[in-house]
Amino acid sequence: MPDGSFAHPQERQFNPYSENGGTILAIAGADFTVVAGDTRQSEGYSIQTRYAPKVFKLTDRAVLAVNGFAADGNMFVKKVKQRLEWYRHAHAKDMPLRAIARLIQTMLYAQRFFPYYVYNILGGIEEDGSGAVYSFDPVGSYEREACRAAGAAQALVQPFLDNQIYFKNQQPPAGSSHPVHLPLPDVLSIVIDSFTGATERHIEVGDGLEIFVILAKGRSTQGFDGRSGVQELSTTPEGDRVFVIRRELKKD
Amino acid sequence: MFLTRSEYDRGVNTFSPEGRLFQVEYAIEAIKLGSTTVGVCTKEGVVLGVEKRVQSPLLVSSSIEKIMEIDRHLGCAMSGLIADARTMVDHARVTSQNHAFIYDERIKVESATQAVCDLALRFGESVHDEEAMMSRPFGVALLIAGVDENGPQLYHTDPSGTSVRYEAKAVGSGSEAAQSELQDKWHKQMTLKEAHILTLRVLKQVMEEKLDQHNVQLAQVTSDKGFEILDEVRLKALIDEMPV
Amino acid sequence: MNSLTERFATTGYAAELKRAKDVLGEEEDGLDPMWGSQAGFGNLASGVVKFNIPTVPDPSAFLRMHTDDFADPSCRIKIKHGTTTLAFRFQGGVIVAVDSRATAGSYVASGTVKKVIEINPYLLGTMAGGAADCQYWETYLGMQCRLHELRNRERISVAAASKYLSNLVYSYKGMGLSMGTMICGWDKTGPAVFYVDSDGTRLKGDLFSVGSGSTFAYGVLDQGYRWDLTDEEAQELGRRSIYAAGHRDAFSGNTINLFHVKEDGWKFIGNYDVSKMHYDGPDNTGGYAYELRVEGKSSANPPVTQ
Repeated sequence: MPDGSFAHPQERQFNPYSENGGTILAIAGADFTVVAGDTRQSEGYSIQTRYAPKVFKLTDRAVLAVNGFAADGNMFVKKVKQRLEWYRHAHAKDMPLRAIARLIQTMLYAQRFFPYYVYNILGGIEEDGSGAVYSFDPVGSYEREACRAAGAAQALVQPFLDNQIYFKNQQPPAGSSHPVHLPLPDVLSIVIDSFTGATERHIEVGDGLEIFVILAKGRSTQGFDGRSGVQELSTTPEGDRVFVIRRELKKD
Repeated sequence: MFLTRSEYDRGVNTFSPEGRLFQVEYAIEAIKLGSTTVGVCTKEGVVLGVEKRVQSPLLVSSSIEKIMEIDRHLGCAMSGLIADARTMVDHARVTSQNHAFIYDERIKVESATQAVCDLALRFGESVHDEEAMMSRPFGVALLIAGVDENGPQLYHTDPSGTSVRYEAKAVGSGSEAAQSELQDKWHKQMTLKEAHILTLRVLKQVMEEKLDQHNVQLAQVTSDKGFEILDEVRLKALIDEMPV
Repeated sequence: MNSLTERFATTGYAAELKRAKDVLGEEEDGLDPMWGSQAGFGNLASGVVKFNIPTVPDPSAFLRMHTDDFADPSCRIKIKHGTTTLAFRFQGGVIVAVDSRATAGSYVASGTVKKVIEINPYLLGTMAGGAADCQYWETYLGMQCRLHELRNRERISVAAASKYLSNLVYSYKGMGLSMGTMICGWDKTGPAVFYVDSDGTRLKGDLFSVGSGSTFAYGVLDQGYRWDLTDEEAQELGRRSIYAAGHRDAFSGNTINLFHVKEDGWKFIGNYDVSKMHYDGPDNTGGYAYELRVEGKSSANPPVTQ
């Protein structure tokens, strides 16, 4: 080098990771699953874009939400979709939800020594018609749950879900018990409240909200008929349907 | 048919001018020397049966293994060079376990069959650094029986790597007579028990020795109990029930 | 000839592609089939698991920098940690008890983790350290055990299964795996427990506890342990020991999962809330909390004098 800096040893750190904010969550019902994410993408204190989707439809019964480092996340979703396509060609069927969950584990773990900086939440309908949510850590540990929040506002949203979905720290009225599964309208309200709340209190959350609703076969759309911004994405011959609801969040 | 040897006999990967791969065709001939193997598919499950050639009274007949488990829901019977089949069955087992590990589900019968067929043509000269696995084609035919979400199924594979699904199939030395008998007697509403009896009857017809529980082996794959080889007690009971 | 020149070319499309593949750590063609029944076996396609390693001089230092939240609490990728697990052998089989808390830094990432991994119907593994490491490798072990069974027409022994795992993790020594596990089961030799960790340690023993809360669990376990415990006594000892750890160790808690391995395989006994154990106990006849036993006698709550 012109300044002769070769004279001294230099050290550089290899840092291929960044953090792009945002929050995702998913809630499973008896015969439906809701997966949602905000659409803001930021780096540090500056907002890169107000519309960067974090929730992706994988099959007609599975939706994946990714959060963390957006570049890793987008590449990961691309690779998962590629594997789903190969599976379809090799086995002549769509990959079932629990198979996708295990596949995601093995794909994340293949990067055990060079991890994807990505938190995944997978939601959809199982083979038996029940709603299901699977959550993952960056290197592939996973578990089936009823609900899960991840991302920047995880610590804000998860306690709210614990209270509203798992009824933590709530006593049922005398002579009754807490419901095992909430109806769809209640779940949608909880999702929307989670995100408006997180937008108020976390600078990396806001701009837009995308809520994916996966309905098991035979389930009516009762619960969001009247809502605005609903778009149907697919219907299977058996009757499983995927919808997306797009809403605005505060932009400051 | 193959009386005149031609120069196309030697290169395992060389087509003859008529468009034939002689070594593969010869391998298929090898199966016709093998013991008779029968598979029968019913709505309740699949039955596999083989003839064990007990050539010497000193031979321990239980050490002849011609029906093998691939996974709980998959079984396999063979005819031809049994040593070759072991390579293929192990490949099917590994594939089936890998599938279970990666997808947390049982592999489909068709996919497992396809995995075995993928091996069949990996012979000949190696292409740059990819090592060829074998110098010649496999000399064995497999009957792969299994149950998955599409119900009980039976597949036949041969040394050319072709796989075909059958309701009932016979391979090996007595296959021609056995196959026409199966064609006659197989019907859609067959029960598992009837399939057991049919398998034994077909084997009995083509076997030189008198059929007993020591010189045949029977196995079945059902959705609730999976793969099982029938022990000699059950086998004897079935043989006793056979109409004379 | 053409392929030969291409392979050693330093310019051109082929060389470009090869470089890109080297950078991505992707395998050469043929090792990762994209078609047929093995399409998408990914890093397992060649039969052995292969990993992508960052192209830096010291990959494990890279991994530590980004994932080790003990060394650097501000590191980005937080891998789940923290645990109390225990297993012991006794006259009636093996008791396996674990808590269910997973922490990422000081955040309780989950309170419902399954830290007992069901390798197969007669082998259990426990999870301490990296959740993914334990889950992945113990599932992988389950697959190898099944292959052993098919090839040898005989169930694998607990000793062999644990040795397989220990050899496996030893081959990754120094690369940053973190697991402390007990492989528990029943084989021809009777009930068996082996401790295996990512350093390569493998120990046969009667009684082990692993994780941040293990010291607390050992305290209770060592006091109450006898070979001739009845099934009920043994299950209670396991439950009581994990409760003690959940109570005193901040990284452990939430719920207790209890398993019992007998000759015919393992059985799930139950899931118990640690708070409920504290106040009410497993059958509502009395909690484990000492406050309940000293009520009206402690300094904070002195006896009422007449």
